[in-house]
Amino acid sequence: MSDTEKKTTQSYLEQLKQKALSQENYGGEIKYEQAGMQVYDCPECGAGRALADGLTVCAYCGFKFMTVTLSDGIHIKKIDNS
Amino acid sequence: MFGFFKNKYDNPALLEEIRQTEEKWFVFLDKLETRLDELCTAAVPELIAVFDQDTDPYKRAHGRMLTGLIGQINQMRQKAITAKEERIIPFMYASKSVLPDLISGAGREYHDRLYRFQMACFDRHHQFEDKINEGITALRSAEGNRGLEATYQQQIAEFERIKDKFLCKQCGGKMSIPKMYFIATYIQCPFCQTQNTYTPSTEMQLLFHQARPLAEQRTAHLLRAYETQHPKNPVLYQQYLRAMFDEWNKITPDMVAENERFYLRLLKDHSINHY
Repeated sequence: MSDTEKKTTQSYLEQLKQKALSQENYGGEIKYEQAGMQVYDCPECGAGRALADGLTVCAYCGFKFMTVTLSDGIHIKKIDNS
Repeated sequence: MFGFFKNKYDNPALLEEIRQTEEKWFVFLDKLETRLDELCTAAVPELIAVFDQDTDPYKRAHGRMLTGLIGQINQMRQKAITAKEERIIPFMYASKSVLPDLISGAGREYHDRLYRFQMACFDRHHQFEDKINEGITALRSAEGNRGLEATYQQQIAEFERIKDKFLCKQCGGKMSIPKMYFIATYIQCPFCQTQNTYTPSTEMQLLFHQARPLAEQRTAHLLRAYETQHPKNPVLYQQYLRAMFDEWNKITPDMVAENERFYLRLLKDHSINHY
């Protein structure tokens, strides 16, 4: 391969590299967050949710935390429905 | 009858044209191959450099560059296919149409020559396709070192450090995270029974996606042992796959059931001959 063609390949690669590095990532940069603990209290009566009473309905005032029916997942199981 | 006593067909111009077309096809593919080699040789160190420079955990800049390069190579592949479809195949049919009937014997020599031409051109194209695939494989495997093992060990140490430092948001009771989670999970407060939602740090969540590459990294020697054998021994592949999934399951034990289904599918896919 001639020197000119080699130069063309190099300049093409350089352009491609610059474009790849400078293009903004879809969805933006990743935000790194620390591990944390949260709780979702009942907004009506302030009671916490206990597993024994199910996770979908407040055991005290009947407020619906979620309208979907839970199915078996990695950590949440069907039995966690209220 | 049967054309046994006909004069032998003679067309030196056609023979010359066949020779020239074959030569042009070979030269054309040689040139494409040289460009392919040049591109791949120059691109591999650049790809590794981009991989190392890319601070994104998903290495998306590297992915974009790789996609661009594969696009270039596929253009070369397409050029060869177009040339074959526009120059070689029509020439073959056009030449065949002017020859005397194959069973007449008069044009047998030319039919044979044309057949040899066809096979030589197609074989050369297959060789070129093999080179294209080798080039793409070389580009795909051009990655820097992700340091997955070090990141994993670092996150295990980080988890050991923080696992007993959480308090229940409802009653303030001390809580302990029983094991390393990669996704948000309910943790029950031992005092007031409230379900607290534990969200792992972003780095820990990313480990979930890096579990397979890490398992592959740990068992790469087994895959190499399989790939370097000729003919390939399927038992070695099964050994690799089992070991890889065992490692994967060790990293993400919650996914054992799903991983096992995936393992069985890969095993089945491997036993199908794709011809």
